Amino acid sequence: MSDDALWYEAALLVGLTNALNVVADAPLAALEPARPDPEAEVVFAEIRDFYERADVPVAFRRVAADPGYLADLWRATRRAFSDHRLSRRLKEALAFAVSVTTRSQFGTTFHLGEMRRLGVGERGVMEVLGVTQMFSSYTKIADTLQLEPDMGTIAPVDWSPPPGDPPPPNTRTPEAP
Amino acid sequence: MPTVRLRDASEYPGPVQKLFEVAKAWFNHDFAQPPAMSRVMAWDTELGRYHGRAMKRAMTPGEFTRAEKEMVAAVVSGVNACPY
Repeated sequence: MSDDALWYEAALLVGLTNALNVVADAPLAALEPARPDPEAEVVFAEIRDFYERADVPVAFRRVAADPGYLADLWRATRRAFSDHRLSRRLKEALAFAVSVTTRSQFGTTFHLGEMRRLGVGERGVMEVLGVTQMFSSYTKIADTLQLEPDMGTIAPVDWSPPPGDPPPPNTRTPEAP
Repeated sequence: MPTVRLRDASEYPGPVQKLFEVAKAWFNHDFAQPPAMSRVMAWDTELGRYHGRAMKRAMTPGEFTRAEKEMVAAVVSGVNACPY
């Protein structure tokens, strides 16, 4: 867990989580096509397969009127939530924490279900909820007092490359560009 | 700039100094001064004790590792737009 590649992956996941939540939680039910385009149905099949469920999450149904957009959104989402450096299980926990923090009813329910489906037990759910709650406390205390970051140097900078790039030479120093 | 004067670690009584040592061990880092948050939480030792214990309970490895939990904490802080 010590390299920056993991944090890039986490940040991208946070973004996609929020993107899905904002559409799913908004009063946009009228946008769901009664009869999705066949192209959208192909994407829906991929979504059902990925989540191993019969229905398609509302966040995707609401953008299905533009099948091309749906397909790109879905494939970005699948990429963000798939096992890479971070496990899918941890990613669902992160998405759950983000959803609770942003008060997303859709996201909280959906990612809680995904965590459980992927094997996280009640203790694990409580662990994530506890961390979320505690750091929702610390962040507001820090903001209220406008505390300045003072722990940024306790972890070393890591120069791990993005996915697909060759590994950096071992001699590289933090001062290198 | 913080809106309050952050006390130097030496201004806290002995029992709190021990808590600062615990914080140092928790983060595995030899701070010149305890983190600002530790010093703020120590302002009310009773609240700080319970809050800190709840935090440690939440962060202790269980189904998720400490590192995984630190990442959860980081994304919660990020979503809350908290630079600290």
